[in-house]
Amino acid sequence: MAALIEAKDLTKKYGAHVALDRANFTIEAGRIVGLIGPNGAGKTSALRAILGLTDYEGQLTVLGREPFRDRTALMNECCFIADVAVLPSWLRVDHAIDFVAGVHPRFRRDRAMALLAKTQITGRRRMRELSKGMKTQVHLALTMAIDAKLLVLDEPTLGLDILARRSFYDALVNDYMDESRTILITTHQVEEVENLLTDIIFIDRGRIVMDTSIEDVAQRFTAVSVSSAHLDAARIEKPFYERQILGKVVLYYENGDAQKLAQLGELHTPSVADLFVAKLSGGTA
Amino acid sequence: MKTNTWLIRREFWENRAIWMIPAAFGGLLILAALFSRVNIPVLNTHVETHDFGGIFLFAIGTAFYLVMSLYAGWYLLDCLYTDRKDRSILFWKSLPISDASTVLTKLLVGLVIIPLVYFLAADVTALIAAFIVSIRARAAIGTALWQPDVWWQIQVLWIYVIVTTAIWYLPVAGWLLLVSAWAKRAVILWSILPPLALVLVERVFFSSHYVGEALNSRLMGLPAAAFRAGWKDGSDVEINGHVPGSIWRFINAGGFFTDAHTWIGLAAGVLLIVAAIQLRMRRSEI
Repeated sequence: MAALIEAKDLTKKYGAHVALDRANFTIEAGRIVGLIGPNGAGKTSALRAILGLTDYEGQLTVLGREPFRDRTALMNECCFIADVAVLPSWLRVDHAIDFVAGVHPRFRRDRAMALLAKTQITGRRRMRELSKGMKTQVHLALTMAIDAKLLVLDEPTLGLDILARRSFYDALVNDYMDESRTILITTHQVEEVENLLTDIIFIDRGRIVMDTSIEDVAQRFTAVSVSSAHLDAARIEKPFYERQILGKVVLYYENGDAQKLAQLGELHTPSVADLFVAKLSGGTA
Repeated sequence: MKTNTWLIRREFWENRAIWMIPAAFGGLLILAALFSRVNIPVLNTHVETHDFGGIFLFAIGTAFYLVMSLYAGWYLLDCLYTDRKDRSILFWKSLPISDASTVLTKLLVGLVIIPLVYFLAADVTALIAAFIVSIRARAAIGTALWQPDVWWQIQVLWIYVIVTTAIWYLPVAGWLLLVSAWAKRAVILWSILPPLALVLVERVFFSSHYVGEALNSRLMGLPAAAFRAGWKDGSDVEINGHVPGSIWRFINAGGFFTDAHTWIGLAAGVLLIVAAIQLRMRRSEI
């Protein structure tokens, strides 16, 4: 399948600061990809480039287009929520729907209305009168009513309480996602999204640290809880990271020999969050 | 085309002042017509009567025009900046609308649509005020205020003013949009200081003042070339020889469109607007 997003040596500089440093990655259609990194790692720069919001160096194609030159056409097939709090305060809910229906060829008004009908929000209210959670619901209803091939979400739940976060992701997976769509999410709250992702891309200091599918994670990575007796033997197997928990040491291996490792302690597949910490801190915690 | 009408509609949702200020201002003038002392000069001749109607409409129109210039300037300076300030630019940019259409729509609203709204408001106000004043003053003044030919002439004059000033002020509007797309804060200061600095630098280092003069002639009032000499102080010697009160004696379209300054300004305006669009494409946040 042709890649939906393809970045080759993608670089973005702000003066002397290099936000993206020759990043290479591809995103295939039908996936839910998490672009994960600490604050200031270059996540937002990568998204801005993908969405045509900034210029960049290197090669980048999104849905077969160059995003910065072709943003208007790209936005026919791609939509994004870059932070939930960006609907202007003066905008009325019904006007927002009218506007998007007026300018977007793939917007389905009935779908937006159905999504909003599930909420307490009435049409004549202005954004400034709505709570942050309600604004999110409006923005989601607007966005999910667009038949887009690619949906990009930048820290979509920032500033939301746990209830709103949960319903946000539930709606995303249950009401929106299907084979024809691709979702790209950035977040630094890894735990929150790890169950819905099919692929993860780790980014740190502008570089791609890891780009893999969740299935691959189980194949490639092993975590072993080792008691102190086996610690030296375990270290010989070249763990890339180790961490102490409750008297035991957990060692992380990439492409380790499962049979050997099983003799040293209890094996399990690291969670995305663990892997993230392990990959990004490099060495001992 | 459909997108553009939605973009214009959006400007009316966002900037309710576009119609609220002229409505409020018209209301004030009508209140004045209702409650102020009506002190109407005795009109002796046919010419005076005729001119009085024209002056009445002209005065109301001018008052609206002054308020409009201030508001339109502020609108152009604020419109792109405010999208970045409240970060709603990230919503607008998630829609298939080009940055060029966004900027050009705002330009159209600032230079043409806002003036048209004020023009309409001035007409309605003049109509109501004329009605009130004629009732309050009775008799003679009534006929002076209700002259269809004068009314039509004033309409043509204002349309002419809107067209010529839209062209004349294009570089000013382009500059305001550029600042609006660029500045991180203090748009008013950024719109004023660089031109001012240029004037001072020129004065200090070259002891000339071309920039100052160019700015002055661009900014002060209406484009002089678009009107015949004497339109300002009423010293037009021809007045008495012409059809009384005829507005045509003011208009000088040929002079305006053959004036080099018109075309130089237009070119500068186009460059500034292209730059504003480029900035809008690149600058998303403050």
